[in-house]
Amino acid sequence: MSIRNGGCFYPVLALPAAALLALAGQEAFTGAAHPFPPPSAIREVRRGASEDALALGLGLRRLAADLWFIRLMQYYGTEEPERSGEEAEEAVDPGHGEPGHHCAHEHFGEGRYPEFASLARHILALDPYFTNAGLYAAGSLAFNMNRPAEAVELLNEALLYRPKEWKYLTLLAAIGYSRASDPSGVLASIEPLLNEPDCPVMLRQLAAFLNKKAGRYRTAYLIYASMLTTTKDRFYLENARREMARLEGKPDLVEKVRSPG
Amino acid sequence: MTEYLSSVRNIAAHSLTENYRNRFFALFVVFAGVLIYASLLAGVMAVDEEARVIADLGLALMELITLAYSLLAAASSISREVETKTIYLVLSRPVPRPAYLAGRAAALYGASALMLAVMALIHLSLLYFRGFGVPALYAQAVFFIWCKLLIITSAAFFVSFFSTSVVSTVTISATLWTLGHFTAEAKFLLTRTSGAPAAVLGAASWFIPNLQLFNARDLGAAAPPPAGPWFMAAYLAVWLAVPYLFSLLMFRKKEF
Repeated sequence: MSIRNGGCFYPVLALPAAALLALAGQEAFTGAAHPFPPPSAIREVRRGASEDALALGLGLRRLAADLWFIRLMQYYGTEEPERSGEEAEEAVDPGHGEPGHHCAHEHFGEGRYPEFASLARHILALDPYFTNAGLYAAGSLAFNMNRPAEAVELLNEALLYRPKEWKYLTLLAAIGYSRASDPSGVLASIEPLLNEPDCPVMLRQLAAFLNKKAGRYRTAYLIYASMLTTTKDRFYLENARREMARLEGKPDLVEKVRSPG
Repeated sequence: MTEYLSSVRNIAAHSLTENYRNRFFALFVVFAGVLIYASLLAGVMAVDEEARVIADLGLALMELITLAYSLLAAASSISREVETKTIYLVLSRPVPRPAYLAGRAAALYGASALMLAVMALIHLSLLYFRGFGVPALYAQAVFFIWCKLLIITSAAFFVSFFSTSVVSTVTISATLWTLGHFTAEAKFLLTRTSGAPAAVLGAASWFIPNLQLFNARDLGAAAPPPAGPWFMAAYLAVWLAVPYLFSLLMFRKKEF
């Protein structure tokens, strides 16, 4: 039983060791939870199947979701070819229809963007815990593109893996009020989200716009001001600065903002 | 036993020094540093999700680059010793073969830990310079990356005893790494197969390391852990011990 040069002790151990490996392997294979959607839930978008397979094979779901989210934002920030031309000329907002332009008023973020929902679903199929992507996509679909049914569908899919995510539930309520044409209900619903430092900027934009429309200029001004520190998106930043400049002309606003309470 | 442990410690210390003095070690770290800093570009494109993208991309790069180094080091650990005939010098002394193997394996584990630590510092410095804090569960993610690397390094170390070249060892181990992340997909396939193919696939899957168990980097802070900590610790211990024992079986037959 000498341990020098392996002795006869180690070969005897090999068999139980292999059995132990198989036992642990079986337990790990059948018993361990897999907190991600099955491969059947991942639908191919933009011929990216091989890229997705590589991401799954290397255990890089989260990174793949990040990259698809960047693509989604690039897609949404780019002019749609079919909206250029006459439609853009008829637009109410200077610069409407130009690449990356999101209108400042009621038309903010409007467009058809046919791939938007499938890209968003793809991101959440890869990483269902990417809450901000879910909020951003559902908010854009419901409030900017006027596709609330798709937004609700997306949020319901996201809730399968995060059933207690209050941000999704809040947004669902806001979409419900929006469908009932109740802007004050929408505002009340999304208000808790605005206190979150990572609240998607498009929801802040929506809240500011609805407040402004309801005549609550001070609240709108403060929300636009918060956008200056919480986002790096230059379109939203420029819009926030522009709106703040406009609101500063409103009666009593500056004084109220300078001396809150 | 004291003599045995002393041999393991001496061999591990010597091999670890050999590892970090290796020019490839420095090259891999520099390359990783450049890539981690290049992830700034992707971060800028992510606009408001910059912190998340820099964190995810950096952790993924750390894992893949340390994996590449660890596989190369494990594949050539013994063969290089044989080629340079250093092994004759070591084994001609009263050094037990199990201690020699344990020391070499420990050095590989230490080298990957060292490389991860250096890269984590580079990564955290980038996050700091961009004005972000340490991401949630960062230390846990790095620790579990190391756990995955321990498993695959042990497997590669064992494969290197019967493989014909460094390239084939790296290829086999990289395949295991990929399959190790496909557990859920293998389960999915099993539900769609039956009979003998299902039995073969099922049995094969037990001998593939379930690396998804340790993929905390991918799970993030929000996802539930896939298994309990004791089971994960036991699973890791089994995956360290069993390849070591089989390596020893192969090694004791070799004539020097």
